[in-house]
Amino acid sequence: MFTNRAEKLFVWVFFPLALLMPLLLEQNTFYVNKLATILILSIFVMSLDYLVGRCGLVTLGHALFYGLGGYLFVMLTPEYEAVNFWVYTFYVLAIASLIALVVGFIVLRTSGIYMIMITLALAQMCFYFFSDSTDFGGNDGVFIYIKPETDVFGLSLFDLDNPVHFYYLCLLSLFNVLLFFKLVMRSKFGRIVDAVQENPERTTALGYNVFHFRLASYVIASALGAYAGYLFALQYGFVNPSMLSWQTSGTALVMSILGGMGTLYGAILGTFVYEGLHYGFEHLTENWMLPMGVLIILMVLAFRHGLAGYLESLVEKRK
Amino acid sequence: MQNKKNRLRNLVTTCATAGLISAGAAIAAEPVKVGVMLPFSGVYAALGDAGRNGLKMALQENTAQLHGRKIEFLEMDTEAKPERAPELASSLLDKDKADFIIGPVHSGVAMGMSKVLRNKDAIMIIPNAGAAAATGPLCAPNVFRTSFSSWQPSYPMGKVALDAGYKKVVTMSWNYGMGKESLDAFEESFTAGGGEIVKKILVPFPKTEFQPYITDIAATAPDAVFVFFAGGGAVKFVKDYAALGLNGKIPLLGSGFLTEGTLEAQGDSAEGILTTLHYADNLDNPANKKFRQNYQDSFGKPADIYAVQGYDAGLLIAQAINTLGGDISDRKALIQAMESSTIDSPRGKFTFSKAHNPVQDIYLRKVEHGENQVLSIAAQALEDPARGCKL
Amino acid sequence: MDITLFLFQLMNGVQYGLLLFLIASGLTLVFGVMGILNLAHGSMYMVGAYLAYYFVNTTGSFGVAAVISAIIALLLGILIERTLIIRLYRRNHLDQVLLTIGLIFVFNALQSLLWGNDPLGVTVPTWLDGAIPLTDMIEYPVYRLFVSLLCILIGIGMYLTINRTRLGMLIRAGESNRDMVECLGVNINRLYTLVFATGVALAAIAGIVSAPMVSVVPGMGEHVLIACFVVVVIGGMGSIKGAFVGALMVGIVDTFSSIMLPQLSSMMIYILMAVVLLVKPKGLFAH
Repeated sequence: MFTNRAEKLFVWVFFPLALLMPLLLEQNTFYVNKLATILILSIFVMSLDYLVGRCGLVTLGHALFYGLGGYLFVMLTPEYEAVNFWVYTFYVLAIASLIALVVGFIVLRTSGIYMIMITLALAQMCFYFFSDSTDFGGNDGVFIYIKPETDVFGLSLFDLDNPVHFYYLCLLSLFNVLLFFKLVMRSKFGRIVDAVQENPERTTALGYNVFHFRLASYVIASALGAYAGYLFALQYGFVNPSMLSWQTSGTALVMSILGGMGTLYGAILGTFVYEGLHYGFEHLTENWMLPMGVLIILMVLAFRHGLAGYLESLVEKRK
Repeated sequence: MQNKKNRLRNLVTTCATAGLISAGAAIAAEPVKVGVMLPFSGVYAALGDAGRNGLKMALQENTAQLHGRKIEFLEMDTEAKPERAPELASSLLDKDKADFIIGPVHSGVAMGMSKVLRNKDAIMIIPNAGAAAATGPLCAPNVFRTSFSSWQPSYPMGKVALDAGYKKVVTMSWNYGMGKESLDAFEESFTAGGGEIVKKILVPFPKTEFQPYITDIAATAPDAVFVFFAGGGAVKFVKDYAALGLNGKIPLLGSGFLTEGTLEAQGDSAEGILTTLHYADNLDNPANKKFRQNYQDSFGKPADIYAVQGYDAGLLIAQAINTLGGDISDRKALIQAMESSTIDSPRGKFTFSKAHNPVQDIYLRKVEHGENQVLSIAAQALEDPARGCKL
Repeated sequence: MDITLFLFQLMNGVQYGLLLFLIASGLTLVFGVMGILNLAHGSMYMVGAYLAYYFVNTTGSFGVAAVISAIIALLLGILIERTLIIRLYRRNHLDQVLLTIGLIFVFNALQSLLWGNDPLGVTVPTWLDGAIPLTDMIEYPVYRLFVSLLCILIGIGMYLTINRTRLGMLIRAGESNRDMVECLGVNINRLYTLVFATGVALAAIAGIVSAPMVSVVPGMGEHVLIACFVVVVIGGMGSIKGAFVGALMVGIVDTFSSIMLPQLSSMMIYILMAVVLLVKPKGLFAH
């Protein structure tokens, strides 16, 4: 499954360590929550990484789905009634996929910088829709008062209000998403998607409809982006239009480029490094933007293929 | 860096005090942890800076009230990003075990904070954000506000407008919670007295291209205009209003934030604007004089409303600690002490309502020679209706 | 809407559009010639406004301040291109995006360190501080007309430079074929430095002339950045003419939608862009 040496190394170090983290942190609520947030972001960034790095579809509107994941849940659920987590996960994924199908149909007609801009435009429209709305809390955001239950046939598997349980849900989700993308890429579908990115004309000549493969990829990535947003909304029970802002899309893109485009596991690396630096610098100085910006610039200059690329070159050297 | 040094100094001094005073030594060894969640970068950074300055100044001036307890500040930059608010609040609550959490400026951030902090062990003191919900439907025993509810500064203006003989008014604001709530409050008192809102303009936030709207106002030719804008947007609006020549032709009324911390940047274009607010720079009371002098000396610039509100949050903490003799471990007693306190604020004395919002005088001010001059008290001891609060 | 009001609003729209054009022109020039998407372009607008504020207060003259600020911006552009951008020409476009986002962070932090976070204002220079009465209610400030005129002049200047001079020929050639220009014995690196610095200076000039009309505040650059992207994409990336038309369209549509379709006004420019891209997927005047 994990063929690349650096990737194998990363997966074997990261996931066992992540499994142990809540124990090492002695269940300190904040750190467990913070790590869960980063895991959620990693899912979001990974879905973007698949789209940008694997399919060559650059978007600056991925936050559209992140925010939708949260807002769909708010719109679907009754305010004071616990709903079933699995059922609503399905709803959110299904509706987000449908929306992605329509959005993809529009945006995939363009490419390059124009696609960047049209995705941005659609996300901004959605941002203003929720920001101006009176029904969904407007600019101040909206609460989710009661978290879903996780019963399956009357058996409660875990408690979403328990930070450690929630952490493991996020970790499991991240692992599954990574595995899923790996499987997709190894399948025939994935190989054609690769071919589409390498050489669209040739793929068309071979009799494949490039548009269909792009659209399918777009729907998959968008639905998983929405899933990340749904988890984020559930974590603290708070949804705000800023989830849909272009800054959210931009930051995710930064994390993905930083990690190494198209490597998937690089998305986890990029997210953790970016969030770690942010956390470190903001506790160090009020002007955290200065060291943050300088370090981003230095990393772009130093790493040709992101952090994952750097890791690979290290592993290769040892070999 | 600063924090580390402070901590070291705190440690030394607390050790010394503990040695001298045998009683209560165990309590004195532990500093009171004050978490600060304000924006220090981005559009609202100026407000965050001022609030923090005021807070620290109040606690420094009143060390005598702290019964030997030291204060440890834990600062978080909210960047005015609502989606980060729950995480940062949780960091202060769960990781740092803060006793008090002061913040925020932005109403969206207030919502996110309140989601995490309501009914928890830490006391949340809001030094600015006016969102009605915070002391309305979302009010909680441990949530206090030393600033205002969005309703308070705008409601009295309706009567002022009626008294001035204005019948038809255009209202205008950004399309977000604070703005809409301010316009509603004005409308409530203005229409109750027989006035008419001929047009209500909501500008997408944070857009500052006001010219088309102002042209539209000129075409409507109302008796007066009532607006809510703050910070950079307030500067731009007032400049545009004057640049198109409306200043002096159609009177401009506003919630006081229109001319707070912005007068220097607005220059002559702000002359003659009438606003209502719970503070004015030149209020004639000893607390205000002392406050303004000290603030100028400490930070090298004049204090504004945001500094006052932070300062009062500090006074509230100091007084509560004093009332309880330094032991704030019993949160019920602490909340009771805070509820019943009277704050001798630079804005004049104020108390707290059941919903923990200030009961305060609202002043009518006019901009003259680059200063907000107090004309009269527009409403005495005004209490927010706290709609939806069950405290 | 009667005809006078319509004309006023049209004037508002054109004025906003011209200012947008000035900011966007630098963005489209840099992208068209060098293929670089400079996300820090908005920061340069902010830098211009803050420099203008600083030098107006130290020199007391808006004219002098404007010239000094523009020169500093030009030098800043050269510095950024020579030390940073030059290392990324042979790299992925996304690396350039990341680098310029890093620059946004740096400039935001420097602004906060150097000038603090209070909203600042610059007064209109006295020699332009008049107003032309249009009706008994409304007057139009001379300074805003002056800025519009300046934007038009700069636009014409750019158009002539690109289409009528040897330098313009090289710029046009550089857009289509970098190696070709090098073969002609032209130092392409110097050309790139010049273009990038000009782009930065154009954004800064827009910031300088805006300073007396707006509030100089943290984050002011990020608000205009998105609007500029919309302008540039509508016009077609790299086209100065396109940027001009796109800017006027955005300015006018935004102005009229504010008044006539207030519920949709926040989304209107994005709807406009989406419609344009659906009809012409590469913008109105793409090469």
